[in-house]
Amino acid sequence: MLLRFTARRLLQLAPVLVLISLMIFSIMHALPGDPVQLMLAGAESGSVTPERQEELRQAMGLDDPLYVQYLRFVGGAVTGDLGTSVRLREPVTDLILARLGSTLALSLGGIIIAVVIGLSTGVLAALRQGTWIDTASMVFANIGVSVPLFWLGLVFILIFSFRLGWFPPAGQDGLRSLVLPSLTLGLVSAGVISRLTRSSLANVLALDYIRLAKAKGLPDHVVYLRHALRNALVPVLTIVGLQFGAMLSGAVVTETVFSRPGLGRLVVQAILWQDYPLVQGIVLFMATSYVLVNLVVDISYAWLDPRIRDGEAPA
Amino acid sequence: MRALALSMKRGSLFTPSFIIGVGVLFGWVALALLAAELAPYDPILTVSGAREAPSLEFLFGTDRLGRDVLSRVMFGARVSLLLGFISVAVGGLTGTSLGLVAGYYRGRVDTLVMRGIDAMLAFPGILLALIIIAALGPSITHVMIAVGISTVPRYARLVRSTVLSVREQDYIDAARLIGTSDWKIMLHHVLPNTIAPLLVLSTLQFGNAISVGAGLSFLGLGAQPPTAEWGLMAAVGREVLGRAWWISTFPGLAIFTAVMACNLLGDSLGKSLDPRQSAS
Repeated sequence: MLLRFTARRLLQLAPVLVLISLMIFSIMHALPGDPVQLMLAGAESGSVTPERQEELRQAMGLDDPLYVQYLRFVGGAVTGDLGTSVRLREPVTDLILARLGSTLALSLGGIIIAVVIGLSTGVLAALRQGTWIDTASMVFANIGVSVPLFWLGLVFILIFSFRLGWFPPAGQDGLRSLVLPSLTLGLVSAGVISRLTRSSLANVLALDYIRLAKAKGLPDHVVYLRHALRNALVPVLTIVGLQFGAMLSGAVVTETVFSRPGLGRLVVQAILWQDYPLVQGIVLFMATSYVLVNLVVDISYAWLDPRIRDGEAPA
Repeated sequence: MRALALSMKRGSLFTPSFIIGVGVLFGWVALALLAAELAPYDPILTVSGAREAPSLEFLFGTDRLGRDVLSRVMFGARVSLLLGFISVAVGGLTGTSLGLVAGYYRGRVDTLVMRGIDAMLAFPGILLALIIIAALGPSITHVMIAVGISTVPRYARLVRSTVLSVREQDYIDAARLIGTSDWKIMLHHVLPNTIAPLLVLSTLQFGNAISVGAGLSFLGLGAQPPTAEWGLMAAVGREVLGRAWWISTFPGLAIFTAVMACNLLGDSLGKSLDPRQSAS
C-alpha cells in the first residue's frame, strides 16, 4: 500500500513541475516589457544601436518561436543548464550552487527555531488551557504572525548587535552570525506552528482514549507524551513542510536585512538588474525544491498515519 | 452572513480581539484620510537637521534628509491602505470568479482552472509576486497587482469548495428547472453563500498584503524615493540603524499594528462565523 502511495505521488510530480516551468516562462514572456529594452535601459542613450539590440536578441534566442524558447528552457533545466546570467556573465546553475549552502544553513536554522519554540509553546498552551500560560502563548503566536519579517530583523540587530554586542549585525562568519537571521526567520513560523500544535493537541486531549489512559492510572507524562502528542503531531508535520516554503521566501527578506550572500539576496538583485535568465533560474529552482520537500513530507505523513495511505480521510 | 448578524445581536462578536482590531484599523484609516490636515510637517520636504532624535518638536525624530518621520508615517498609511484595498480587489475579484466558474460548471472547466491554481500554489510565499514584479518592473503599483494576483489561489479554492457544496442543494435544482440562466443562479443563489467566508479571508489578506507589500518595498522592488512608504522608510533607516534607530523603528511599528489589527479582526470574524473554531 505504502509503495503504491509513494509511486502515485511521484507520478503526480511530473505534471506539477511542467506547470511550474510553464507558469514561470509565460509570466516572464507574456507580460509587457521587452527584456532587451529593459536590459539596455541602464546604458547611455546613443550607445545602443538597433543592430546591437538585434544582436543581443539573437544571442538570447528571443527571435525563435515561443514554444521553441520554452522547450529550450525546460530541456536545459532538466540537464542542469539554466542559461547564463546577463549581468554576471556566469552560468546560472553555478551561481545558484555557490549560494545554496548559505540559504540552506539559514533555512535549517529557521526551521529548528520554529519547531522548538512553536512546539513547546503550543504544547504548554494545550496542557494549561485557560491559564495565563495559554493566553501568553496565544499572544506570542499572534505577534509572530503579524510582525513584518524585515522589521523583526532590524529590531534584533538594534538590540543584540548594537546595544548588547552579542552577535554580528551582518555578514556570514560562523555560527554566531547565523543566530539572529535564524531567529528572525524562525519566529514567524513558530507562531504558526504554535497555534496549530495547541489546537491539534487540545482536540486529541478531549478524545475518549486519553480519558481511558488517565482512568487506568497511567502517569501524566506517559499519557501526554506517548498517547496524546504522537497523534497530535501528525497534522503539525504537514505545516512544517509548508513552513519550508516560508523559509525560502523569508530568506529573500532576511538575507537582505543581514547582508547574507544567499539565493534570496541574489534573486532580488537579479530583479533589480533585470537579469531575466537569473530570475527565471532561481525561481524555478526554489519552487522545485519546495514541491520536492512537500512530497517528502506527504510520504512520511503516510508512513506515520496509516489512514492516509489506505485512502481514508484522517479524522 | 446570518451567523455574523446573529453573533452581533448576541453581543458575542464584540470580543477584545474584535474591538482592538476595529479600533486600530479605524485609527489608521482616519490618519490616512486626514494625513494632510493632521501631519505636523510636509512629508517630502526637509524641515530640520538630519537624524534628529525624537523630541517634542519632532515626536518620531527626523530622517537622513531632515524630513519629519511622524509626518511620513502618517502619509505612509495612505500607500499601505491603498495597497491593501487594491490587492484584495485584484485577488478577490479574480479568485472569486475563477472559483465560482470552476465549482459551478465542474468537469473540464474545473480541471483546467484548478490545475492553474495548483501551479500558482507551488510557489512558496512571495515568490509568485516576485516574478510578476520581475516581469513588470519595480514600482508600488506593480506590487499592488502582483500581491493581488498571488492571492488568487486562496480565493478560488475557498469559493470553489463553497460552491461545490451549495450547488447540490434542492433550491438550485429548482431554479434551474424553472429556466433560470446559469449566470442568474450563480449571482443570486450561489454567490451570496460565499460572502461570509470571503469577508474573513479578505480581512486577513488585507493585512497580509500590507505586510508583503511593505516587505517588497523594503527590498527596493516597490515604492521608490521620495515616496513616504513604510517599507521603503525602514530600508533607508537600516543604513543608519546604529546611529538613528527611530527612522526604521516607527514605520515598522506602523506596519505591525496595522497587520495585527487585520489578523485580530479576521480571526474574531472567523470564529463568530464558525463556532467550531472557537472551541479549538
